[in-house]
Amino acid sequence: MLIGISLISFFIMHLAPGDITASESAFNPKASEESRQKLRALYNLDKPLITQYGLWLKRIVKLDFGNSFASHQRPVLWETKDDKGNVTKGMIQDALPITLMINLIGLIIIFVLSIFLGVVSAVNQNRWPDRLITVIVFIGFAIPGFWLALLLMYWTGVTHSWLPISGLHSAGYEKMGQIAQYLDLFKHLILPVFVSSLGGLASISLYVRNGMLDVLQQEFITTARAKGLTENKVVYGHALRNTLLPLITIVGLSIPGLIGGSVIGESIFAISGMGKLFFDAVLMRDFPVVMGILTIGSVLTLFGNLIADIGYAWADPRIRRGITN
Amino acid sequence: MYFKYIFLFFVLLNLTSCSDKKEVAYNYDGTFNSEKGGTLIDAMSGEPSNLISMIAGDSASSAISGNIFNKLIKYDKNLELAPEIAEKWTISSDQKTITFYLKKNLKWSDGHDLTSEDVFFTWKLVTDDKTRTPYGSDYKLVDRAEVPDLHTFRVVYKKAYAPALDSWATLQILPKHILKDEDINRTFFSRKPVGSSYYKLAQWVNGEKLTLEASPSSVMGEPNISNLTSRFIPDTSSQFLELIADNIDLMNINPIQFARVIPSKPDLKNKLALYKELGNSYTYLGFNSKHLPFNDIKVRQAINYAIDKQEIIDGVLLGLGEPVASPYKPGTRWSNRTLHPYPYDKNQALKLLREAGFNDTNHDGILEKDGKPFTFEILTNQNKQREMTAVLIQRRLKDVGIDVKIRVIEWASFVNQFIKTGDFDAVILGWSLSLDPDQYNIWHSSQQKPGQFNFIGYNNKEVDQLLEEGRTELNPDKREKIYHAFSKILLRDSPVIYLYAGYGLTAMSKRIKGIESPTPPAGIAYNSYEWFIPSTVRRNEIAQ
Repeated sequence: MLIGISLISFFIMHLAPGDITASESAFNPKASEESRQKLRALYNLDKPLITQYGLWLKRIVKLDFGNSFASHQRPVLWETKDDKGNVTKGMIQDALPITLMINLIGLIIIFVLSIFLGVVSAVNQNRWPDRLITVIVFIGFAIPGFWLALLLMYWTGVTHSWLPISGLHSAGYEKMGQIAQYLDLFKHLILPVFVSSLGGLASISLYVRNGMLDVLQQEFITTARAKGLTENKVVYGHALRNTLLPLITIVGLSIPGLIGGSVIGESIFAISGMGKLFFDAVLMRDFPVVMGILTIGSVLTLFGNLIADIGYAWADPRIRRGITN
Repeated sequence: MYFKYIFLFFVLLNLTSCSDKKEVAYNYDGTFNSEKGGTLIDAMSGEPSNLISMIAGDSASSAISGNIFNKLIKYDKNLELAPEIAEKWTISSDQKTITFYLKKNLKWSDGHDLTSEDVFFTWKLVTDDKTRTPYGSDYKLVDRAEVPDLHTFRVVYKKAYAPALDSWATLQILPKHILKDEDINRTFFSRKPVGSSYYKLAQWVNGEKLTLEASPSSVMGEPNISNLTSRFIPDTSSQFLELIADNIDLMNINPIQFARVIPSKPDLKNKLALYKELGNSYTYLGFNSKHLPFNDIKVRQAINYAIDKQEIIDGVLLGLGEPVASPYKPGTRWSNRTLHPYPYDKNQALKLLREAGFNDTNHDGILEKDGKPFTFEILTNQNKQREMTAVLIQRRLKDVGIDVKIRVIEWASFVNQFIKTGDFDAVILGWSLSLDPDQYNIWHSSQQKPGQFNFIGYNNKEVDQLLEEGRTELNPDKREKIYHAFSKILLRDSPVIYLYAGYGLTAMSKRIKGIESPTPPAGIAYNSYEWFIPSTVRRNEIAQ
């Protein structure tokens, strides 16, 4: 499966015209065509595609993601140490933690808020709270993220100086105490997380709302009400738990998304995460980086599917029985 | 009931995010004496890739490494060659040998002596086949390099090569004592350089910022501003927000910000100074001379008359640019003052097109020749200014009966599928207004193979000869005559139409003082080591 995915991505990537030697800065009369050919040979770009793929595969089975084609030649995945003890950090190693953090916080906020909004909508179906929530989540979904981001940056950063505008750390970050550092990071994260989670609210809250409506019409809910349970117990104790089952699949499928950042969001907030890394690598035709990120992404996709299946079986006895029978 | 919690959430958010930052009203006016210290913060769109400039090739890297490393010679504020670490240089009478005499007592920032051995070592590196540099070709023309003593460096060329001096004004000298046993392509030195110039690297946080501090052993003397911090902010709108919030001191801005946004806001006008200087490149419309009908000089000239360059400068650059008539920076000695751009003259254009055999025989508003309508495609890459320029050209050419289509293509595809294969009618692109007048690679008829730079297929014997002559003449006065003659033929032939040279626009906090006015040809940054920040208007660095 993985070989199939990597083979297809490798060939699609090479379908795009050009390679690292055709970047904009190389369009310089001082740079001769011979030296570009020399570079191509150094990176094996002059070999047939299938040979290049073979070379890549040979390295990747040893978990060697190689070095970037860019002139800094940094390792793609993880840090290396030279004989003098200088450590060069890996590109993914640098970019992943921050993207993971933003996406994880974003995901938690999305799910918590969506469940809350979805339940409120379902319970108040077709009354004003439902309508209001639907309108708000759809505005959030439809609003262009970069535009909202710039407006919020201007409002909270320039007119009021409540929040920092861009980046992850303030100028004197190194001199701050531990708590001040966390608070500083927290302030820098508010806007990026807010903007990145806004778009996800709509689909999941509607999912919860509709699931909830389905469940509320089932007979065991009627039974529960007939038993004389309070409405809160009916909604949160019985209906919600059944509504949450399909969400397990969505969580599982969101796992690969955790390492993919948004290019526009990261550029605007000056956060050097995975989205920007991948986008720049594609523009530069930095193949080792592109392939490295795609490989990790496809591993996580397969892993996420597995987790979703297992989680579903764990949570729902009907599925478990289906497996054993 | 829920709304109580939502309200509480917002109250909490407000509490935690309340900032202790106060709006400080600085008084930037008045006279200040230059003093040392302070930090200048600027914004960069890209992160430097590698601080060894012969390998890097990106502009962010060279902006940083230029503050760390020295060259033998440099361009001064009038863009004439001047000493840097060489105190003088001599050229032999056969013009084949150049001897550089280094200043005495030069030091690297780690205390080692900087000698001509280091220069020789750097030349060895840049010409080594194992070095991954695209810039080796100029230095490979050196037949023999010698180090007669520790303060002298001599190069002997097989035949006189005029751009040689320019090449020595760009090669940054690297320390032999650190790099002699290192693999230059992989060395950690590219992230932890040791240089000899004004600044040394203090801190580099990947994806975030890079800080330089004044180097006490700088061979150039001590700069006034102690620290330079570059923050990496890819998006220029975000950079601008940081600038108006006073978190950065300096950035390049676009014509709208320069001509509209900042002048219309008094508070911004009070704290920001605006500078414009002629940039280092020009934008052109280039024809594929191998495609009909662009092989006809009359057609190219007609299109040149039909395009209103001032309209493009006003529309695309809001007036912040200049028309050029030669590929050299106006105001420098290489630019021929007697030449003027083709004026906008629709009738002249129509006359020339008729002479070239184009007539609107079927009265559909489009000219025809031999029954075929005059229609062609302008290609350009994803660059807003070039796209807008293409639209203005399209409209002007429609006026004279030429049907133009516009196609915008991503850069790598553009180069590989169209430029290299020669599969295009016309392109809008830019060339640099080079400091050395040699443009052999761009205009000589031998430079038309795929991947070479005369991709428009320009072919003129007279120009070939002038370019060859100019390459072997090191005397500036004689070179000036050669390149003035070359520019004149180029303008007449119109293989490309010079559209505009845009200004580089800078907005700078008024706390930075000592900027030379009026702006010299080399631009404001040439004396940045003399800039200073008076202590009364510095950012409160402790509070940060």
